Amino acid sequence: MATPATSLASKLPPRLLSFFARYPPQIYSAAVTPKSEPQSTPTSTATSSTTPLPDTSSAIDAATGASTLPSPYTPNRDAGGHKRPDPTAFSPSKALLATNPEHPNPFLPRKNFRTGKWIGPRVGLRVQAELVKLAAKYDVEELLPAGRKSTEYKETRRAERGLAIKGTGIGQKVKGHKWERTMETRLDDRRKAMMEMPEAIRLWKQRGHGRGWKKWPKR
Amino acid sequence: MAKKSKSRTVAVRLISMAMTGYFRTMIRPRTHRPLSMLKYDPVVKKQVLFLEATKGGRNK
Repeated sequence: MATPATSLASKLPPRLLSFFARYPPQIYSAAVTPKSEPQSTPTSTATSSTTPLPDTSSAIDAATGASTLPSPYTPNRDAGGHKRPDPTAFSPSKALLATNPEHPNPFLPRKNFRTGKWIGPRVGLRVQAELVKLAAKYDVEELLPAGRKSTEYKETRRAERGLAIKGTGIGQKVKGHKWERTMETRLDDRRKAMMEMPEAIRLWKQRGHGRGWKKWPKR
Repeated sequence: MAKKSKSRTVAVRLISMAMTGYFRTMIRPRTHRPLSMLKYDPVVKKQVLFLEATKGGRNK
């Protein structure tokens, strides 16, 4: 009797089978790994710099001690200028790269909190990419652990990054180079000139190869 | 002191009439009529009409 699992296993290439034998999908696959969720507690909102109004919320927090709000022109010698986005902040693509501490994801690096050192992924990025391509070919990609090479991660990441690229939004456009801006009209002129070229050559021949020509171009 | 005499020949620019911006430079006698000829334009990859460009808009 052939269950769906065994019939699937008979179809898969040995490379995927050995991977699944080593990292069983019921423990390691992206579907069963718990995904991290954005924390919605007010304290984390105040500390996270990716929230829309981090400075105002922290300013209000600071101002609660004092009775009045600070003047916007109060010089602050400790002000550090523009804050960089928090690299540990939540993002949908990072949420995909969650790992289960009991069964470390072989596609992700992890930190040894005792020594403070990072341990590289068990399976390197090159092999990950090969496995993902192979799994996608046999339609079993969801059985692989979550990783940077997965189709889902790449799509999420592209959606995030797509918003960051100037000129890609609706109604946006970039100035571009002058040759790009004028290309359309120049090509139109050329096309028009080439349409009229046989007639111009006929006229030119008729008028004694330029002897009776009146319309000379300006330099 | 006598005025410096003009040279017998002039260098002229023959502009492609395909509006590609391609041109050829030629030398002709000053007294000759303006040059015009069919020449190859590599931008449109065809033989097109080339006409002499006037410098001040004066051509006989």
